Amino acid sequence: MNRTKRYTAGFLILAAAVLLLLYLNLNIGSVKVSPAEILDILVSGDATDTNGSIILSIRMPRMLSALILGGALAVSGFLLQTFFANPIAGPFVLGISSGSKLVLALVMISCMTAGRAISSAAMIGAAFIGALASMLVILLISGRVKKMSVLVICGVMIGYICSAVTDFVVSFADDSNIVNLHNWSMGSFSGMNWSNVRTMAIVGGVTLFLTFLLSKPMSAYQLGDTYAANVGVNLKVFRFELIMLSSILSALVTAFAGPVSFVGIAVPHIMRGIFKTARPHVMIPGCFLGGAAFCLFCDLVARTMFAPTELNLSSVTAVFGAPVVIWTMLKRSGGRR
Amino acid sequence: MDRILYTENLDAGYSGQAVIRNVNIDLHKGEIISLIGPNGSGKSTILKTLCGQLPAVRGNVFLKGKNLADVKEAELAKTMSLLMTGKVDPELMTCMDVISIGRYPYTGLMGKLSEYDRDVIRESMRMANVEDLGDRYFDQISDGQKQRVLLARAICQEPEVLIMDEPTSFLDIKHKLELLQILLKLVKEKNVAVIVSLHEIELAEKIADQVVCIRDGIAEPARSAGDVFVRENICRLFEINEAQYDWLYKGK
Repeated sequence: MNRTKRYTAGFLILAAAVLLLLYLNLNIGSVKVSPAEILDILVSGDATDTNGSIILSIRMPRMLSALILGGALAVSGFLLQTFFANPIAGPFVLGISSGSKLVLALVMISCMTAGRAISSAAMIGAAFIGALASMLVILLISGRVKKMSVLVICGVMIGYICSAVTDFVVSFADDSNIVNLHNWSMGSFSGMNWSNVRTMAIVGGVTLFLTFLLSKPMSAYQLGDTYAANVGVNLKVFRFELIMLSSILSALVTAFAGPVSFVGIAVPHIMRGIFKTARPHVMIPGCFLGGAAFCLFCDLVARTMFAPTELNLSSVTAVFGAPVVIWTMLKRSGGRR
Repeated sequence: MDRILYTENLDAGYSGQAVIRNVNIDLHKGEIISLIGPNGSGKSTILKTLCGQLPAVRGNVFLKGKNLADVKEAELAKTMSLLMTGKVDPELMTCMDVISIGRYPYTGLMGKLSEYDRDVIRESMRMANVEDLGDRYFDQISDGQKQRVLLARAICQEPEVLIMDEPTSFLDIKHKLELLQILLKLVKEKNVAVIVSLHEIELAEKIADQVVCIRDGIAEPARSAGDVFVRENICRLFEINEAQYDWLYKGK
């Protein structure tokens, strides 16, 4: 019963935080829109005047992107941590985001050079291929070395290599859109439109739903391969599903917002601290809400802290995320909780 | 007696290479077979093959008359459960979380426990003497308690065969005895068949109906405990001399 209370309280707090941040993201900005006016605009759906267009065409899509992508990123991190039984795994540290970034940059530049527009689906596809390529390298390494520190170091190195190649490619691509590309490659939720939001809601929604359906085998997997296989988990199939789902989720984020650091690794830790459980049934929705709140908050900071200059999203998520990781590591090495 | 698990000239090993040959095991309900032999002799390899996690290199394993290779995962999970040496250290899982994994083969898509599942879990916790540990975090209890919790997990899977790989290795003598007494009770009350590899030959002698000695890549035919635990045999099996044996096992 105690646990049920903790879960309820945790979800209520997270939901309240998300709602508050959603409101703040609509309210705060270079143009301040009063609550009454926001309500008015939302109800009427009128985007013809300036404030209406700011709220409905700029802030709403951006805020919803932060919500969906932040949640997806945190869940992706939780899946990777479960998969590798490694608390410092995440799409960014393992180089998966950077793999997506590289392939996506290549595809975008070749499309720009050919003068063709690139569709959302193609962007997600390219990011997914990049994510899988990085994942494959990580899997090859983890098959040889079981040490989690080695795995993480290799992931970070893969990330650097991919980023270096991306920078190289970007520097030599001649196009006026390079500025955009550069912004995107540092992580940002800016410039989202409703069509982007629709795509990410559909892809993210379906993937997250499928992920939630894996809660049961995931809980058995947390007890290790042997016991999971013993209770009837088909390890090969399960591992494949886990890799696919986490890659889709992180690819989705990179496709729209670029590589965003530390959300995937820090948020699951914060959620463990709140819920005090490893149960996927609780952790998956918890991580989604937590990741959403975290990204809504970081995006708010990124665009308002030094307005009109906008900060890189990844810089802000790092400032708030990295200490969480350090704190977790210290707590772990200082004996069991 | 009901024959439940048997092998025919089984060779066990990794990626097609036999590590251990001629495994002939014939296990009946309510019976305990113990595997003994030096470290690295292949006891774990045999056990992994018997539970279907390692394909047989040659020969077959039969579970209730059916070739193990043809038994579906879900069906296997309801028939056979495991307790291994290997330490597991899941984070933030309570003992209750760990034990209820045993109900996995019986629950639905989301793993929700029914009232019956909860009864089975309670009963298993009672048998394994871990009733008061349910809410504790698994990584915060002692090694002896952990092994009993994992045994409760194995019991609530309602197995007909229990496979244990050196379940007592890390435990002190009190917890070794406790675990084996629970095991004997389980065999008696639930008629479970057990295959267990043990380091402690004196304990194997006490609990086993049949003993299989493993040495130099060969599994010897099963014999009764009385036939196995004689000086010449133990000396030969573990490569110790008779003076060492006497020093260890003969009284003052």
